[in-house]
Amino acid sequence: MIRAEGVEAMEFSELANRYQISGVPDTIINDGAARVVGAVPEINLLEEVKQAMQGR
Amino acid sequence: MEKLLNDDILGQIRDVFQKMQHPVELVLFVSQDNCDYCAETHQLLGELAPLSDLLTLKVYDIQTDADLAAKFGVSDAPAILIMAREGEQLTDLGVRYLGIPSGHEFSTLIQDILLVSGRDSGLAPETRAYLKSLTSPLLLQVFVTPT
Repeated sequence: MIRAEGVEAMEFSELANRYQISGVPDTIINDGAARVVGAVPEINLLEEVKQAMQGR
Repeated sequence: MEKLLNDDILGQIRDVFQKMQHPVELVLFVSQDNCDYCAETHQLLGELAPLSDLLTLKVYDIQTDADLAAKFGVSDAPAILIMAREGEQLTDLGVRYLGIPSGHEFSTLIQDILLVSGRDSGLAPETRAYLKSLTSPLLLQVFVTPT
């Protein structure tokens, strides 16, 4: 139910373009419900996940 | 075919893999269509797998193993699923990598293998409690570029 995937943006350019990836790392949550650019502490990522999941 | 990993690196990884606790299976999906890095990814993982008795590699094809690809929700290649193995039983913990894990991402792969091997996320109690409470899917896609 929870999946985390690293995605190489050049090989998966269609996917990268869909989310307009420019700077990396760029974490897309639930097909675009939220985005976290850069490496952030666990607590920050958790906040973003909570917000993204609120829509469901 | 020339080796991708030199003896120095092989030795270092072999040492790091001493820390592995439980078996891990790398499930690699390749494709004959439109996959520039499939062969190289296969070779890379093939050089990695022998470095620990706790690490195995299975390779499937998205087209010829379509049922399995559908079961794991894999539609593009190369896709590396880092699964927990207990005997013949595989558990998909949702950890995967799409693309060839080269440069900096190679150490990400090694870390993922160790993480799955430890069977523990290492996350804070609050995070674990929250994730356990989820009733709908969560997908995190971390985009990276080759270094």
